[in-house]
Amino acid sequence: MNPALVQAEIAQLIQTLGAIGTPLQALLPAAAVLLVALAAVPAWRPLLGPAVAASAFMLLLGEIVLAWFHWRLYDLAVVVSPDTGRIVGRVAVPLWVESEKLYVWALALALMAVLIRRHRQELLPGVAVILAVLMAGAAIWGKPFTEPLPSFLGQYLGYLQAMASGDPARMFGAYQGMEGARQFYYNTIYMWVHPPALFFAYATFAISFIATLIMVRERHSAFETTAYRWARLGYLPLTAGMLLGFPWAIIAWQGESWWWSGKVNMSIMMWVLYTALLHARLYLRRRGMWRWVATISIIAFLVLMLTYLATYIVPGAHSYL
Amino acid sequence: MTDPVRHKNWDFALTVITVALLGTLGVQSFIGTLYVWWAATAIPGFEISGYARFVWWMNAIAAPQVIALVVAMGLCVPKRLFDRTALVVVSGAMIAAGLGAWAFTGSFQNGLAVYLALAALIQAAVVVMTVAGARGPSYLTEGRLVKTGSGLLHQGFIGFAFVVVALQRSAFMLPAFWIATALTLLGTLLAFYADRFAWRKTVRVEVDRSFADEPQG
Repeated sequence: MNPALVQAEIAQLIQTLGAIGTPLQALLPAAAVLLVALAAVPAWRPLLGPAVAASAFMLLLGEIVLAWFHWRLYDLAVVVSPDTGRIVGRVAVPLWVESEKLYVWALALALMAVLIRRHRQELLPGVAVILAVLMAGAAIWGKPFTEPLPSFLGQYLGYLQAMASGDPARMFGAYQGMEGARQFYYNTIYMWVHPPALFFAYATFAISFIATLIMVRERHSAFETTAYRWARLGYLPLTAGMLLGFPWAIIAWQGESWWWSGKVNMSIMMWVLYTALLHARLYLRRRGMWRWVATISIIAFLVLMLTYLATYIVPGAHSYL
Repeated sequence: MTDPVRHKNWDFALTVITVALLGTLGVQSFIGTLYVWWAATAIPGFEISGYARFVWWMNAIAAPQVIALVVAMGLCVPKRLFDRTALVVVSGAMIAAGLGAWAFTGSFQNGLAVYLALAALIQAAVVVMTVAGARGPSYLTEGRLVKTGSGLLHQGFIGFAFVVVALQRSAFMLPAFWIATALTLLGTLLAFYADRFAWRKTVRVEVDRSFADEPQG
């Protein structure tokens, strides 16, 4: 491996991604404003369906570009042992980390919004507003095309510099850090299953939340059924994603106090609330029970948003502070 | 024979207790998160000196809630097989066995593990009887596949709780975890989507109604 050459090729790759993706990234907030406008003005709502579909198409196009970027990065990001000089592996950076999280969440929600059939007309305005927030957030804070993967690239470029330095202590330290991240974070099977399962669940819960708000406004059980159908669709990947986080945490955070860390706390809270929701709705026929079901559903979604934000606000294991 | 009305009220009470306990654990998690957020900036060196004490407090506050939840789950499991009197006796025996194991080994964890193991055994019997189509087990839901799903997912959760309580440092941790996860996910899938897997399709008529029509008071 020639560290200087790899560094130059990565710089070239980032430049190419920026050139292709900048127009797409600029379109995200514009599309978000359009979605909000179409949702807000009743006379424009017939255009909302096509606008959501166009947004989904745009996001999918961007995801294909990002997938190509990751594939090229996989070719370049090799980890070489300073002891033997041999390649021990390549870093497979998943498509839902760092700058790409909100983007993936927006993509999942957009694709689901296209697939909504039951109560489509009623749900679309609310879903479009959430989609607009996610798309704007992806462009403003995520910047997946113009500032891709800042943590990974920072660490990997630091590793390359250390390997080029010739200082054995520095090389070994950087290698250990990079190889640890490769084995226990980027390349682990958990990383390829846990986050996408949760983003899928988050998207379904967003639609369930909108259906719940409509149920509260309309006071009709038909919307509760719609809210339930979306919630149960999300509960399976939520449970799977969270369960799969458990053995991963034991392996990756060995010796760390992770059980009561902020993000883990909030995730447990979110899961218990959705579990409580699915239990409570078994008694929907009881008088006044729908109010409890609606309250739990709304609180659960608010907690979901706080769970997402906790990663960036609350320190501890599973924090990016 | 159990009075169906009383049985339904008992089911409802257990569901309310479960939901309430899940809610209080959620509130504790939220307050804990707010505290860590505040303490990390307000208390110098919190992560080094204060975090261990925070974890101790969180464990101490959560323990009675988790035990109550496990007991509620323990009641939910045999309730499918026994009437209320027998249920109280069986549940009392399970708690006594757990307390006995705690007293005998001096480890609270062992007591909890024994309690969960007994709950898992009864739940396994419930699942087998449900799959076999026996008339004994009672469920809130209808349809053998839905009931099997409900039974399996509760079995999975008990298994997961057992892994957390008893097997974290054991060589059996990962195999037991994967079995519990598979049971939970298969159970959830069946409980939610049984109609898609059913050999004989049944047409369920959902009667939509307005909540505004409910009598007040």
